[in-house]
Amino acid sequence: MYAALAVIALLASTPPAPTRWVEDRAAFLSPGARETLDAKLAGYQRATGHQVVVWIDKTLQGAALDDWAARTFEAWRLGRQGSDDGLAIFIFAEDRTIDIEVGYGLEDKVPDAVASRIIREVMTPRLQAGDRDAAVAGGVDAVLAAIEGKAWTGTPATAPPAMPTWLYVVFGIIVVLLFIKFPRVGMMVLWSFMGRGGGGGGGFSPGGGRSGGGGARGKW
Amino acid sequence: MRTIGRLGIVTISIVAGLFLLGGSCVFTYNKLVRLDQAAKAQWAQVENVYQRRADLVPNLVETVKGAAAFERETITAVTEARSRVGQVAPSITNAEQFREYQRAQDQLGGALSRLLVVAEAYPTLTATQGFRDLQAQLEGTENRITVERMRYNEAARAFDTARASFPTSIVAGVFGDRFAAKQYFAAKAGSDEPPKVKF
Repeated sequence: MYAALAVIALLASTPPAPTRWVEDRAAFLSPGARETLDAKLAGYQRATGHQVVVWIDKTLQGAALDDWAARTFEAWRLGRQGSDDGLAIFIFAEDRTIDIEVGYGLEDKVPDAVASRIIREVMTPRLQAGDRDAAVAGGVDAVLAAIEGKAWTGTPATAPPAMPTWLYVVFGIIVVLLFIKFPRVGMMVLWSFMGRGGGGGGGFSPGGGRSGGGGARGKW
Repeated sequence: MRTIGRLGIVTISIVAGLFLLGGSCVFTYNKLVRLDQAAKAQWAQVENVYQRRADLVPNLVETVKGAAAFERETITAVTEARSRVGQVAPSITNAEQFREYQRAQDQLGGALSRLLVVAEAYPTLTATQGFRDLQAQLEGTENRITVERMRYNEAARAFDTARASFPTSIVAGVFGDRFAAKQYFAAKAGSDEPPKVKF
């Protein structure tokens, strides 16, 4: 019972999707550094399409970081649908933890070992030296440098569900009969077959990408 | 407007009936196929990440062997679990095979996590870049396995729910084994216990 409640509480704890590239809920960065990084990542997405975000909060309150990060990434749908080229750097100031969560499409550009090195060798030493702005900016630069190279071409589309030919024939006959008898209903049936779409937006908008839990975690 | 004759009403009823039957069959069938494909695609992801872990083993073993006097028992457990994984044929519809597959994979996972814990006792080994990279890859892969297993369970459950509910169950029944029920991953036995280390 309590376990079930705990699970529900855990599932509910995914924060709302960010509205900008760099979100700092812990006053971790200086305002100037945050602005600069935000503009940089906005420009990067405009230029390359890759959605890289930084999200800083105070604490995860004991939730499991990797599980939380995977679910949050999924809920935010970072990166473009199909190419899954999103990447998130999560930082928890009081927990002193970093999680680099890599979308499927960037896994070959930022493999786990590289993500781990960025945390260990670029971010951690600067954080230990007390230079938070440089740590985050350096981490972002290292991530962007890792991504650079050729762009990932996207997941192969899954094959549309196959329908046996005889069902097509039966359905076709029915539709034709329907058109003869009741043109209006026939039109409605046809209409219901169409009408599927998607949309984008201006400014920051999550695109529909997914991650499979790739990346690395670290503490400082 | 002319009154519709008896024959007309019968024709309309037959056409409407045919339409409903055929249409619902097609939609139901397509829904099952879509959910079945989704579960299979997700299963392929699970196999991918398991393969990814298995592929890391030879490298890890080589690196660890280099450390002087590294506990042989731990290494042997990993290589044995690794070879067992390769022998088990996976199946998502056969309960027996599925359990066997999961057991073999969980054993490999357990052996690997023990190896990582044991490695902590060898600071000269854990300080090397090669080991750290492998450790990061291994941790990332374990994380992927958790994520993909969870997503597979969700996809399999969606399929099974649709398959078992009326009237979809009739269509599923007509096609027999084509739409057999899927198996799920159980939570790892003892996954909430830290691995035991023997010295």
